[in-house]
Amino acid sequence: MSVFIKHYKASHLLSASNVKFFRFSSTAADLPLKKEDDDEEFRVLDIVKKRQRQQRRLNKRTDIQPDRSDRMAIDQKWGNVWPGPKTFHPSSVPLPLRQGYVPKGQAPPGKKANAELMKIPNFLHLTPPVVKTQCEALKQFCTPWPELLNSEEAIEKHYPVEIISSNYCHASPSIRNPLSRVVSLRVKLSDLKLDKHARDKFLRIIGDRYDETTGLVTITADRCPAKKQNYDYVNYLLTACYFESFNVEDWEGEKTEDDMEYYDFDRNTSRKNLINWYLKSKNEVKSMSEEEYRDFDISQIDHAEVYKNAVSKIMNDGESDDTLRSYDEAVRKLLGLPQKAASS
Amino acid sequence: MLSRSWRHFYRRYSQSVTFRTTENSPSQHNENQTGLFYTMDKDLCKTLFSHGGFPRSFAKQTKTFTEAAVMVRRPALDVIDCIKASDLNKPAVRYLLYGENGTGKSLTMAHLLHYAFENGYLIIHVPWVSEWLRRLPRHKEMSNSATHEGMVDVPLDAAAWLFHFKTQNQAMLKSEELKISKDYVWSKRETTPAGAPLLALVEHGISRVKYACDVIDAIVKEVKLLSDSKVCKTFVAIDGFNCFFYPKTRLYTSTKRTVKPEEVTLTHSFLELTKNDWTNGVIVLTADQLAIPEDHAESFLPKYLLYKKGFEHIDPFVPIPVGRYTEKEFLSCASYYRDRLWLRGPAEIDTELKLASAANPYKFMELCAPL
Amino acid sequence: MNTLIPLSKNIVPVVANFSKPRWELISRHYARPTSFPDFFKNPVFRKEDQAPLVESGELATLAKAPYKPPGVSETSSAYYDPLVNKVINHVMEMGKKKLARSLVEKAFENIKRKQIERYHLASSDAEKAKIELDPKVVLHKAIENSKPLLQLTPVKRGGITYQVPGPITENRSEFLAIKWLLEATNDKERTIHFPEQFAWELLDAANNTGKVVKRKQDIHRQCEANRAYAHYRWQ
Repeated sequence: MSVFIKHYKASHLLSASNVKFFRFSSTAADLPLKKEDDDEEFRVLDIVKKRQRQQRRLNKRTDIQPDRSDRMAIDQKWGNVWPGPKTFHPSSVPLPLRQGYVPKGQAPPGKKANAELMKIPNFLHLTPPVVKTQCEALKQFCTPWPELLNSEEAIEKHYPVEIISSNYCHASPSIRNPLSRVVSLRVKLSDLKLDKHARDKFLRIIGDRYDETTGLVTITADRCPAKKQNYDYVNYLLTACYFESFNVEDWEGEKTEDDMEYYDFDRNTSRKNLINWYLKSKNEVKSMSEEEYRDFDISQIDHAEVYKNAVSKIMNDGESDDTLRSYDEAVRKLLGLPQKAASS
Repeated sequence: MLSRSWRHFYRRYSQSVTFRTTENSPSQHNENQTGLFYTMDKDLCKTLFSHGGFPRSFAKQTKTFTEAAVMVRRPALDVIDCIKASDLNKPAVRYLLYGENGTGKSLTMAHLLHYAFENGYLIIHVPWVSEWLRRLPRHKEMSNSATHEGMVDVPLDAAAWLFHFKTQNQAMLKSEELKISKDYVWSKRETTPAGAPLLALVEHGISRVKYACDVIDAIVKEVKLLSDSKVCKTFVAIDGFNCFFYPKTRLYTSTKRTVKPEEVTLTHSFLELTKNDWTNGVIVLTADQLAIPEDHAESFLPKYLLYKKGFEHIDPFVPIPVGRYTEKEFLSCASYYRDRLWLRGPAEIDTELKLASAANPYKFMELCAPL
Repeated sequence: MNTLIPLSKNIVPVVANFSKPRWELISRHYARPTSFPDFFKNPVFRKEDQAPLVESGELATLAKAPYKPPGVSETSSAYYDPLVNKVINHVMEMGKKKLARSLVEKAFENIKRKQIERYHLASSDAEKAKIELDPKVVLHKAIENSKPLLQLTPVKRGGITYQVPGPITENRSEFLAIKWLLEATNDKERTIHFPEQFAWELLDAANNTGKVVKRKQDIHRQCEANRAYAHYRWQ
């Protein structure tokens, strides 16, 4: 039996000089073939055509130039290399990037022929020096920042309206993120010049776009496909609501006490109760009409102011221990009763 | 830690802390007696509270403890002070007791009733409004009111209340000082003439149940006139007043339509009574969460329970909060229960019970039951 | 190969114990199957049980072993009574612990009210001293009085089943007492509520009268009558 061992170097052609073979035992008793070893190789019968396939495999080009990325100078101007947005080109980028998920232990795939690096939008055209040159170039078209707008209050005073919008980096067949069309307009309610009726109507029109704790009105628009369109729409909404709140409809005069959003002592039964009580305590009971109740001057009643404030507080601010206590004190003063003894 | 163990030490020795006071007259009660129990006379209890006035659980306790003992607490003393200091020539002042469930509003009212009885007031006491508007035995007797169009009467309840009124004010009614001002014609053959004693009206209402609600109406008017003319001073006590202002009742007409409280004649009578257009009177009311269904009883604060209408009806009123037991009151109550053999066990149980019941008087009583 | 590797710092390495049979090692404290392994020890939650451990310093070492958590009704409260808990569990149906507890507590309240009434009606101090006002003591007494001391076991010999008297364990005796009390209570009129009837049964049993005590005495009488067959236990 003979053991035929072949040694290969990966990128070299199979040359006859590399073939070595050993013979452990020969089939022939005599050794006339010894002579042949020195002359020529043993011609192996290649039924499966293995050798041809191996030969075909190693047709490698040897005339490839080395990568441009390997030859780039360290201090080159990157802005000249990558002037605009471009799909990732591995040979032009001198960075040893690796991108992609692999199971544990393996190294992520390199940058050559990496589809993932090519898919994603890269911002190699926006490196800081490039951005800086662009800004310098734009500066000639810009005016300087006004000096007096040096604090938040100054900015808020002169520019009360804030427009809020977002830009997104989107990775998908389209580079446009649908959320980037959303535009918000924010303004402080106190910056809008509204009178009492207009303010009430404005608040009712805009509904829950008003935040009571901060006093900000936030109008958001996302119904148009483009940001510019939404921006126009938002401005239109603010204008429309503002001017509409000054219009007084005919039926607004029919507002009843139940529709009131705050409690007004002077329009309510508590005032009548107070007046009736006062008259009764002086034994001057008389039936009065609505106007007379309204015209009655409650300042002549002792402690009426305190009482009025206490009742309004309970109704407007809600019931709590504090408001009830203030009401208690006010009523006791009004009715002439002793104040509650402090609990030990 | 030191103070806790000191208190613990103190409590061991003060197991027999004074929890009773011998002062059984509410007019004499003052700050010294806060937290102490005073006993009510059995006859007094029968006169005042035989048809209501004590909460049901308390009535059971009086049987077990063989006495009715009420704790003197700050809210009651507050109201008594105000009554003493107020000028009865001015319109009637309204006091509203409010607080969490089980803190003692009804018992405070019982204390005040005792005070009123002692000081010769004419007592108009409604033990529990929900009894009329929300208690529905198998068949609730209701009838359409004859005198008021579209309104509903509850004759049996009205008659029962008239009986209660009569028992409470027996002495005063018997003395025949209270006379009616005008004629009341019930039917072709029945009239109560002017100048007749109030007792006659009451008895008529009890005997002729059909006219009971109208009798109550008449009584209210008469009492207001009598108080105004200084013949007698009146003490009005209504427990569960907020039930009158809840949007619905549990009554329904023969057509299965739910009746609103405004459509019941009794509501009108008592709302008339609680107005402040009369002098020489005191009005004490309670706003109770238990008077209305649980879904709508989220808060115990007066304006929430009374709704705007009720608040405006009794505005200006004096709100009196009735709270949980203080340390001293809790100790006193625990000692009382031990004395009455209701609670037994080591002193550590007191701290446990105080935490478990959150010093709420009713919960404390409930927790002591199986111990 | 008997040591288990400790899973965490807090677990003492456990050696599998073959000296005792397995059912003696498994804690029988809980009737329910617990989700903890058998080597978890039963909790010590009463102050009086913890105090001696603290004094002797054992608490620190014992605390390193894993312990099961106490059940919801096992508290360190001054009102804790394991017998009361057991009775509540026996009263409970369909897992309605809240209802069972409230029924038993109302029964206690009824007992208390009745006893207080009797106390106030009693004329002399000697009589008053005899009346037991604590409902838990009444319960203990009632169960004690209704515990049978022997039980009858059916043994078949030659085609005839003899009722053979024999000893009874403490646990079984207690179980039978509670069971008979509850059976007697549930044997009630429709209009009478459980707490009331239970209160009556407990008061009767504590007084050595009533259905349950009679049942126990019947068993005892039968045992006495059948004592000739006692040797059948060992044939």
